[in-house]
Amino acid sequence: MTSVAHPAGRQLASFAVASEPGNERIALARVAEAVAGSDLPPARLERLKTAVAEATMNAIEHGNRSQPDIPVDVEVTQDGADIIVAITDLGGEHAPAGPAENPDLELKLAGEQRARGWGLFLIRNMVDAMQISTDGPRHTIQLTMRTGAGAPVADLPGGGHEEDL
Amino acid sequence: MKKTCEAIVHTVADAAVIELTGEVDGAAAGVLTAAYEDAVTGGTAHTVVLDFARVDYINSTGIALIVSVLAQARSQRRKVVASGLSEHYREIFDITRLSDFIEVFGDLDTALADAGSLREG
Repeated sequence: MTSVAHPAGRQLASFAVASEPGNERIALARVAEAVAGSDLPPARLERLKTAVAEATMNAIEHGNRSQPDIPVDVEVTQDGADIIVAITDLGGEHAPAGPAENPDLELKLAGEQRARGWGLFLIRNMVDAMQISTDGPRHTIQLTMRTGAGAPVADLPGGGHEEDL
Repeated sequence: MKKTCEAIVHTVADAAVIELTGEVDGAAAGVLTAAYEDAVTGGTAHTVVLDFARVDYINSTGIALIVSVLAQARSQRRKVVASGLSEHYREIFDITRLSDFIEVFGDLDTALADAGSLREG
């Protein structure tokens, strides 16, 4: 697994949450608070919040095995138009949220794939970029969301409509 | 603070309505399963309406719970529809393709009106 460079830029927040189920809600609230001054449209903020929650939940459950004394570290930085959220557990190299294969709803409804396994799929679809790296026991998922003029046109207010083309 | 999932079940004509509040996550499994059983047991509900108007958080485990309810309903030849989803969760229903199997309505009244028109049709 390749190493992800530590994000440059201005630090907006740095905190840790205990590895207890439900603490992903604390992480998403604090990240939302940290990026409140950024030029992130509301719909994209909701996507970032979902991605942060899923990545933190994965770090708690699969990385730190829900051991409350092992923290999940969260760092939020802004590098130009990019908001970067790095979420780190101490589980070393482990499977990210969800199975390796893409979730297939028809297979799940047929009982041929387990109902769970949406975490990584959701993260990938919520943010502009996602990178996973390990450095010894430290396993980091880095989420990138572009703000303002850097955001995809369809995600900007009024974007994606024919009259705007 | 965590808002535990709660469910109120009632029937309107031949539609069973499950009005959810709080957070639909792993902790909601028991509530959602019991609510579905309550909604369909002893009744003739052809349609189960999941109302999310008072839900403020759904995570991937919650999505899995909804998939499980949908699978159970389909095995019983029941239709599942959803109402009251925020724009964000509508998008997630689209991304996961849940909206291919669960028709999504803006609000509960619209969902029930549609269920009624299907019955009359």
